[in-house]
Amino acid sequence: MSAADRTAVAAAPAAPAPVYAAPDPARSMRALVLRECRRVTRLWTQTILAPVVSSALFILVFGLSLGSRISDINGFPYDVFIVPGLIAMAMAQAAFSNNSSSLLQARNDRYINDVLASPMQPWRMNFGYMLGGVFRSFAIGLSLVVIALPLTGVPIERPAHLIVAALLLVVLFAALGVVVGIYAQSFDHHSFINNILILPLTFLGGVFYSIEILPSPWQELSHANPIFYMVDAVRYGFLGSSDVNVGLAFGFTALVAIAMVAWAQWLFQTGRKLKP
Amino acid sequence: MKSGTAALTIEGLAKTYDDGTVGLDGLDLEVPAGEFFGLLGPNGAGKTTLINSVCNLIRTTGGRISVFGFEHDSMEARRLVGVAEQDPNLDRFLTVRESLVYHGGYFGMNAADSDRRADEMIDVFDLRAKAHTRTSKLSGGMKRRLLLARALLHEPLLVILDEPTAGVDIELRHDLWSYIRLLHEQGTTILLTTHYLEEAESLCEDIALISAGRIVARDTPEGLKRRFDATSLEQVYLQTVSTSLPAVMAAEEQGADR
Repeated sequence: MSAADRTAVAAAPAAPAPVYAAPDPARSMRALVLRECRRVTRLWTQTILAPVVSSALFILVFGLSLGSRISDINGFPYDVFIVPGLIAMAMAQAAFSNNSSSLLQARNDRYINDVLASPMQPWRMNFGYMLGGVFRSFAIGLSLVVIALPLTGVPIERPAHLIVAALLLVVLFAALGVVVGIYAQSFDHHSFINNILILPLTFLGGVFYSIEILPSPWQELSHANPIFYMVDAVRYGFLGSSDVNVGLAFGFTALVAIAMVAWAQWLFQTGRKLKP
Repeated sequence: MKSGTAALTIEGLAKTYDDGTVGLDGLDLEVPAGEFFGLLGPNGAGKTTLINSVCNLIRTTGGRISVFGFEHDSMEARRLVGVAEQDPNLDRFLTVRESLVYHGGYFGMNAADSDRRADEMIDVFDLRAKAHTRTSKLSGGMKRRLLLARALLHEPLLVILDEPTAGVDIELRHDLWSYIRLLHEQGTTILLTTHYLEEAESLCEDIALISAGRIVARDTPEGLKRRFDATSLEQVYLQTVSTSLPAVMAAEEQGADR
């Protein structure tokens, strides 16, 4: 402190009069959501640009370059068919990675204590962290739609279904990211879940093909892949057709999303893994 | 705030960690409102565990804590407590000013109040030149200033300072205590842990010595010296710790025999 500042402190009439007002919990969650969004925008080249570029390359290489040599799938050109799955995959991975890494960093550096000590209910903490991932996912998803529409002419046959499907998918993976971010002890754990679980299941979940073309037993096994239903729900929103019953696809995605949110909520409610 | 109540009341507080380590062993403590209270003890005695318990940063295994009459995990109690932890735990993605503004938001302040208080704290703690610098780029002293600024931003009535001047140069230490004294004069309750016994002696009205998760002595600095026939608080500290350790070790040995 400079001499001038010391004088200012000594003379400060400004020392705060304590505030007794009850806290406004809505403000506390809003602050956490804004903080999470700030992190995304501050690191936008990593959090938004990189996944948009990589997914756009998939569309260009697999769709536009190779697509003309692949016959139509379910009545759609290949470059159109793969767009919904690619967008769903990018959004799911972003929601998961964002929340998992944000919480892991907050726990490692212990600045999560500023949130845990605050007058914020556990459910608001849960949703505050989740919405950061939701924001990033939709930023990526919308960017990819803007790129893919003129390139491929992919239709949006059922916009309402698409919004619901995307929301369910993103909430599910955002909650999974929160859970993994709370349990993970290192970035290896975070990467393990992403690379060994989510990525393979997404690739095998019908992003690049319709499971109807698979021989038995791979077609049956694909029905055991939870991500297949989520990709199918998003594809229905875009193309208006799906590999399985639409109700089943949406219902299954919603069920898993609710389970994941409940798991994350339990962790915040009890403090398990968050507090020693 | 409930009138006429202590700032902090702790009854039978216990914390056993998952690995079996006993952090707090049925600790009782009351800190009157408006007091400058010192908590002294060796490393591992339970000071930080106690602070983390009050601030809802660990899961206690027994006992009860109330802050100005409110259960410590209630929203009301949380609003009344500000803590500057021992090791800097600043959000590396935010600037100095953002750290303060978001903290105000977490504690339910509206945007205008958060902005106003952030600017006040930036001026008080001489952080103006670094206001838009990311916290990860700050020096150790600057981080310490920001920790204190953050702890005080939401105008808590109970300020908990866990070794706030560890590794801080003399000039900054002097300035920090000037401001903390000012806050205390205006009625804020201060709970301080420090290894600088001369600081505790000159600042604190009441001091508790903690060892093995229990309060082993408590009085005014003068009262402690009289009681232990000591000329300094350091002598009291050494006597208290040295008399309490064998008992703990004996108890542990008995436990091991069982």
